Amino acid sequence: MMAKKTLILSLVVSSFALLFCQALFAASKLNVVATTTTLANIASEIGQDKIRVGSIASPKQNIHHYAPTPKDVLKVKRADVLIHEGLDLEAWREPLLAAAGNMRFLGEGKDSIDVSLGVPLLEIPTSLSRSEGDIHAFGNPHYIGDPENAKIIALNIAEGLAKVDPENADFFRGNATVFNKKMDAKIKDWEARMAGFQGAPVVTYHRSWSYFVKRFNLSVIGEVEPKPGIPPTAKHLAGLIQKIRDKKAKVIIKEPFEETRTPKKIADETGVQVVTLSQSVGEPKESKDYISLMEQNISSLEAALKHEGGK
Amino acid sequence: MRRHLWIYSLLLSFLCLGPIRTVLADPSGGPNLVQEMADIKRMVAAMESNMEVLKSTVRAQNEIIERQNYRIEVFEKKQTSLPIQAAAMPQTPPPAKTLMQGGFNPDIGVVGTTQGKLTQNKADVDGNNTIALKELEVNFAGAVDPYSRLDATLALNDNLEDQNIDIEEAYYTRWGLPLGFTTQLGKFRAMIGKENLMHGHQLQTADYPLVIQNFFGEEGLSSSGARLKNDIPNPWDLPLELTGEILRGNNGESFSGISRRPIFNTHLKSFFEPSQDTNLELGWTTLFGDENPPRTILVDDGTGVMVEEEYTPAEGQDRYGVKVFGGDATFNWFLPEGKRVMSQSEIYFQNRTDRVYDNNAPWGFYSLVEYRFSPKFSTGARFDYLNPLDVAGRQGTTSISPYFIFWQSEFADVKLQYSHTVYAGGEKTDNAAFFVVDFMIGAHKHVVQ
Repeated sequence: MMAKKTLILSLVVSSFALLFCQALFAASKLNVVATTTTLANIASEIGQDKIRVGSIASPKQNIHHYAPTPKDVLKVKRADVLIHEGLDLEAWREPLLAAAGNMRFLGEGKDSIDVSLGVPLLEIPTSLSRSEGDIHAFGNPHYIGDPENAKIIALNIAEGLAKVDPENADFFRGNATVFNKKMDAKIKDWEARMAGFQGAPVVTYHRSWSYFVKRFNLSVIGEVEPKPGIPPTAKHLAGLIQKIRDKKAKVIIKEPFEETRTPKKIADETGVQVVTLSQSVGEPKESKDYISLMEQNISSLEAALKHEGGK
Repeated sequence: MRRHLWIYSLLLSFLCLGPIRTVLADPSGGPNLVQEMADIKRMVAAMESNMEVLKSTVRAQNEIIERQNYRIEVFEKKQTSLPIQAAAMPQTPPPAKTLMQGGFNPDIGVVGTTQGKLTQNKADVDGNNTIALKELEVNFAGAVDPYSRLDATLALNDNLEDQNIDIEEAYYTRWGLPLGFTTQLGKFRAMIGKENLMHGHQLQTADYPLVIQNFFGEEGLSSSGARLKNDIPNPWDLPLELTGEILRGNNGESFSGISRRPIFNTHLKSFFEPSQDTNLELGWTTLFGDENPPRTILVDDGTGVMVEEEYTPAEGQDRYGVKVFGGDATFNWFLPEGKRVMSQSEIYFQNRTDRVYDNNAPWGFYSLVEYRFSPKFSTGARFDYLNPLDVAGRQGTTSISPYFIFWQSEFADVKLQYSHTVYAGGEKTDNAAFFVVDFMIGAHKHVVQ
């Protein structure tokens, strides 16, 4: 009986000791939280062993409609630095910050990094009306789809981390340069592989691939959604099917969280290929980092565009 | 000539071997040199990065200039609206634009709910066999200063007999208190379980569960008061949020009508992620409040005749005689392609005297399951059981409410619901059909619960 008590006591004591050690270890690093897995990945490339990084939105869910959980509130509450995509991509960001009440990110928000700074934005509306669907007031926020923008993101993260931790400023900036050099090499390769498909007509489910198609000189002839964020209607689909036939589009690009039924229906009628691309590291599971994610996107799209078909 | 070449070669070899020999001779020299080289490389990389930052800044500045020029051009041409795609030119995030558009105005949103109801109930009361604008909510929200914000919801009702404006919520949030506490002051929906926190249009169903309606009011308990909340540190790194509230007493069906005797509420919640695609939130609520039974007294009717009159004394006989306990559980299962299964249950029971209501141990629960099977549609059902406040004994009201939701967009939805209710005692039943349309404009951001 005594031995059992001693065992339990020692287990409890060692758990707390481990917890204490973990807290000490964690305290020596900057606690960074990013709104998406992709930003968390780029941040880990920049911060490496000087930061501890976590993410909020699940890569499997639509970033616009993500509902933050109590665990996310706790993450933000404990974070030293918040990295976000800015604009109005994460519509839930403001309520999340209000729920967490971390003064580092409220008011002046001096320790939050908006990675959209300096990104050349597309599709900025000149008038705002919900009759145009779920449009974004500051422009299309899906800029992470262009690998060139990942370089700007890396620099923004490096500068943001350097402000919070000036002692390691050179370390962060140096890592950003290394990351950007890797990106330069990969972009060259991806552009070369996509060069054969200049101006190829494609259809996207949501207007989330504008930056990607611009980078690789593809031409979007329409979207499955009649307007951003509005579910497809029969009338719109009939028009889109006709357009696909007229323009001889070969591919419908959708994201993993978007339904397959409608694109498949269009594919059955027109012979286009439905290809699932992602902007979130970790979805699919094989995409461990931004480069492998884009590599996978390019390979999938390349294969689909090469596919001979059509009705 | 050949001899000269030999001499040059020897000299070169000697010069080249010199540093290598030094490194080899000094064991600490090698690593130092490697370290220095690494440092130099890092410095060069940092300088390159600085160059990139400078380039990026210049590029951003140029983009701002281009954008301003473009705006001037548009302004000069007196163009008021351009197609969205036409504005596709290099941009930087325009903070000035928001400032110009909104100034210091708060975010404003309007949410309307129109409800049609068909019921077997023959009573000619508001809501039976009719269609009406049930509620029009006007939301205001914005930062007060760097430390606080204000959220307010005014509800305009189109009731047949008393059209009115209610302050549904209006509370001031102050962050950054010692030890990480956050406080909220004003009027807010009490932190009771899950559905009591939601506004009508946020509900999956057309109405609040029977136990919420019976214990806290038709639209739940919203009360003036003060709230303090924080996370409890724990060795398991679990979210463990504790909220304490002091609420004005004259609220909710279960409590007395005396406002100077507050209701005390505490809510504890935790959250688990059993897998990458599932999560579970558990909560516990405890409320203490007064029960002030009305008394019958004799009063002069003005003609010298003493008549009986009922009144509720300010000094209650049962200080904190009403105790409400409740548990809530919400389970989410995220499926591929945006599909989702959600299950939510809440149970409440009371310990009270039977001087105001006949039942001294009322209790009830509801259980709801919903399946969102496409971007446009979801379906579900709610089961209710209620042993109500005013029915003594173990008789309970049961109700089953299947429903269907059409999500026209993120800003408009249509709900259809059928409810079959068997009232306590089993003698009376009711069948009702609901048709609800929710629509919203402007800014609308739901509070993270």
